[in-house]
Amino acid sequence: MKFNEQIVLVTGSSRGIGAAIAKAFAAEGATVIINYLKNSAAAIDTAEKCNKLGGSAKIIQADVSSGEQIQILIDEILQDFSKIDILVNNAFKPYIFDSENRKQFHETSWNDYQEQLDGVLFSSYTLCQAILPIFKKRTKGNIINIASDLVARPTIPYHDYMTAKAALIGFSRNLAMEVGQFGIRVNCVAPGLVYPTDGSMNTKEGLKEMIINQTPLRRIAAPEDVAGPVLFLASSWSGFITGQTLYIDGGMVMR
Amino acid sequence: MKFLEIIHVNETQVIDSLTEFIIRHKTREDEFDALALQIFDYQFNNNLPYQRFCRQRETTPKTVQSWKSIPAVPINAYKSLTLSCCRSEDVKRTFMTSGTTGDGLRGKCHHPTLSVYDSSMITAFKARFMPDLKTIRMGILFPTENQMPNSSLAHYLALAYSNFGSDGSQYLLTTEGVCLEKLFAELERAEKNLEPYALLGASYSFVHLIDQMEKSNQTIQLPKGSRILDTGGFKGQSRELDLDDFYERLSERFSVPRASCVNMYGMTELSTQFYDNGNQICPSKKSGPHWIRSQVVNPVTGIPMPKGERGILVHCDLAHFNCVATIQTEDIGIEVDNGFLLLGRAEGAEAKGCSMAVAEFLKIAQG
Amino acid sequence: MTLNLGYFQGIESSAIEWKTLSFDRGKGAIEVAVPVLSETQLKSLCTRVKDMSQTYLKTIPVSDLVNIIDTAISSFLDRTNPYRQQAEDLLPRITGYDPEMIRLGLTSYLKTFRKVELNRFLSEDFSNPKILDEFQPLPKGGLGRAYGPDLLFHIWAGNVPGLPIWSLVSGLLVKAGNVGKVSSAEPLMASLFSKLLSEIDPKLGECIAIVWWEGGQNKWEEVLLNHADLVLAYGNNDTLRQIRDRTPITTRCLTYGHKISFGMISRSALDTGKSWTTAHQAAYDIVRYDQQGCYSPQIFFVEEGGAVSPEQFAQFLARELENFENKFPRRSLTIEEASSVASWRQSEELKAFSEEKRSFIVDPNGGWSVSYSETAEEIYPSGLNRTIQVFAVKSLHEVPSMVKPYKALLQTVGIAASPEELIQLASQLGAIGVTRISALEHMTTPEAGWHHDGRFNLLDLVTVTEVERTAETAAEAFSDYVD
Repeated sequence: MKFNEQIVLVTGSSRGIGAAIAKAFAAEGATVIINYLKNSAAAIDTAEKCNKLGGSAKIIQADVSSGEQIQILIDEILQDFSKIDILVNNAFKPYIFDSENRKQFHETSWNDYQEQLDGVLFSSYTLCQAILPIFKKRTKGNIINIASDLVARPTIPYHDYMTAKAALIGFSRNLAMEVGQFGIRVNCVAPGLVYPTDGSMNTKEGLKEMIINQTPLRRIAAPEDVAGPVLFLASSWSGFITGQTLYIDGGMVMR
Repeated sequence: MKFLEIIHVNETQVIDSLTEFIIRHKTREDEFDALALQIFDYQFNNNLPYQRFCRQRETTPKTVQSWKSIPAVPINAYKSLTLSCCRSEDVKRTFMTSGTTGDGLRGKCHHPTLSVYDSSMITAFKARFMPDLKTIRMGILFPTENQMPNSSLAHYLALAYSNFGSDGSQYLLTTEGVCLEKLFAELERAEKNLEPYALLGASYSFVHLIDQMEKSNQTIQLPKGSRILDTGGFKGQSRELDLDDFYERLSERFSVPRASCVNMYGMTELSTQFYDNGNQICPSKKSGPHWIRSQVVNPVTGIPMPKGERGILVHCDLAHFNCVATIQTEDIGIEVDNGFLLLGRAEGAEAKGCSMAVAEFLKIAQG
Repeated sequence: MTLNLGYFQGIESSAIEWKTLSFDRGKGAIEVAVPVLSETQLKSLCTRVKDMSQTYLKTIPVSDLVNIIDTAISSFLDRTNPYRQQAEDLLPRITGYDPEMIRLGLTSYLKTFRKVELNRFLSEDFSNPKILDEFQPLPKGGLGRAYGPDLLFHIWAGNVPGLPIWSLVSGLLVKAGNVGKVSSAEPLMASLFSKLLSEIDPKLGECIAIVWWEGGQNKWEEVLLNHADLVLAYGNNDTLRQIRDRTPITTRCLTYGHKISFGMISRSALDTGKSWTTAHQAAYDIVRYDQQGCYSPQIFFVEEGGAVSPEQFAQFLARELENFENKFPRRSLTIEEASSVASWRQSEELKAFSEEKRSFIVDPNGGWSVSYSETAEEIYPSGLNRTIQVFAVKSLHEVPSMVKPYKALLQTVGIAASPEELIQLASQLGAIGVTRISALEHMTTPEAGWHHDGRFNLLDLVTVTEVERTAETAAEAFSDYVD
């Protein structure tokens, strides 16, 4: 039970990758805070599964694009548990991955880029600002951001979204550089296509085949595949690793 | 996991649960745990300084899974903080420590009712000191409760006297010390009538008494079934003694076998007491009733020491519901099967090097 | 096989009682034997050491002594030397300090006694060191010669490795005969060093003896106090008082008691570039010998207004102490030491949650703790063993008046500040009795010739015999060649 007595906040964890991550932590004894935006039924279901797996879970609704709601979220966690050990920034503004009808560069306005920066980076930024004082007070903390392997190799160029994800990696590295001396680690995981999730429900078979062909491990990632590396980065096994991006795509990208 | 769904209880419910728990003959570890965690939740929510202490230790009722992880408040905290769940107007009785430590401050424990304290004392006293008799003729070498209303020991002995003392039982202390006339009258009476007799009092009182009797070469042959209970350390009041020596001489003077010379280990900051099964061997093994548990821990980390290694004693006393149930003492002990050995106080260490340490600093600053 | 420590000549090992001292500080249990001489043996040892110091030491030039000591120190600095290896192997087991810390600490400390540094000791105290060899002109006129005691009695205390070497070397430089009583906590270094010296120069070896007896007032101490010309004692105030009281009025008794040292950090050292380094250096002074030295910091005063706040600095310090747990883990504590730390920790914790402007950061494994307060408080010891207090101040100039009442207890102040601030603070601190100002990371590594507690290492040990100008002038009239 590697995460016994640890309090883990996973944003956007009612379903998909977030839920898989929450359950994986719970299976290792953690108390997981399942943050969700709208789907309370899914959040409750995930929480129950966490409880059954040997950990425990509490669901808290909050819109992580709102600075106010983030502060309320953090305060509620501290009220109940008096600490937070790990933050996983998984929630982001939903993006439609449509390989056949994506916006090409000349169709992508600056506003599109701006929206994605806000959608991807703003909540991570705000959550980090809110949680860092808490981590600094105990000189210990762990932040994991979810990026994408398309940053390293844009198999399909989703200009606005992936530029924002690339910014997220730069953001994480700079933060890692500064907060390392407080004992706080910041890392990213960069999955490729993960199926099934809300974003990948409509991915065409042809595209999946193409990806499989280019993947040494010859399959598409499942949400559970993302959970393992997140737990690794959250654990003391990676105690001397910070500022890194772990690519979870079966070897499609090798960094 | 169930512990995230905690049902908050009020004082009445706590007292009821405790009363019921105490009178049961046997309880399981998980039952102790459940009640301990419930009382912890009660104290966390109603004793704000304790809540802050727990938060500083990053612990809340939602993060604790067993009684062993409940934050133990250091015994000195009672001197500087008010650790009480009930309101000050609801306090029925306050017990205070003796104030013999260097700073002269006295720790306070407030009780909104003494029903649980009394139940705890009576149940355990019966089991450990009076398993064979309903009552016994008693002599008490300590002031009465009226004389020392803030002394938990005075109340303890008063309970022994009123619940277990047969007719003729007496208090034998005056302001000048033990009333030797009365005492020896009682002792000689017991000798003659072959009626079992019990002497209870502070350890230092016994030291003075034995000294006296040795000087005048007196011995008493107390009849079979007689017993002695001593409590409280020797520090500050009379000279320190080797425990073996003390019990040997005690046994000799009164002809009470060492197995019937029982030491009671208690403190103002608890509502339950520990007993040994006599002092044939010193130090004797001490144990308490099923509503108190102890651990031997590393004083800095709070992590339990391996069994058999010296550490600091931490007690989780469910009966101490109004203050803080879990306390870190300054007593050194070793865990043994079904109990622990009490090895003395943890004195501060002198600096091993040439940097000034607190003890020396205080001497200079105050001197 | 138990190692015999202590050192002396002229008595058979088998004629002496040996007491076994056992150590088990978590680095491997070890037993050593220390010599407990009888009163008679001690008396004859005193006589022997005195005689040799008079007939040998006092006749050789001090530059020869410097060379002999330097040779011994070079051997000790050589990591392949058997004595050095014995020290590196046994000191961690005796004291519990981390082996790496010991190894680095030994080298750094022993460098203080190489030839160049020994000459610094000499020239720091004597404008003309030849005054130790023969009569030399005095600045006031006439001639003078400095004589060290025939018998210098050292009473050593504590477990900071090698501390006895400082006073032993000082004694030798002034050509004193030395009898040193080692502390039960660290009986090794003085013994090894003396053995090494005697191998290089056996006659010098006869001028030294390293002995031991149970602490407290006793007959052995009586013997030495009555035979010595000068007593040099280290320890706590109670011990020092009773030694001084029992020293004959005609014998000087020099005492070195326990001290509190602290650090001061200016906002100029707290920009975003340098502040981590400052924290690292501060932490180094805390971890070296687990704050057991008189020069070890127990408090840091940190100025507000820098890019990095005092509270952040406290957090950096906590992290650095954590990092040092990897590099130089703290020695394991006895239950009494652990209780002292626990009791300090508890009282700081209690303060932290009853007062708003405080915080308390602690290693869950119990290795270190940092107590931070926004308002500086009365100076007070920490719990030692890597427990530190950090106080925020509006200006460092507030500090001297705050610590003034404790003049008698102060020693070293480590300062991280600009050159101008350094000089200003130095004069304020000097006025209130601080005797040493160093950089951070160097609080615990004093340089050669350091005026320990503001005193003179060598000058304090000697008496000067002067030949007045009048005597010189008068003698002229009696010379063969008088006109």
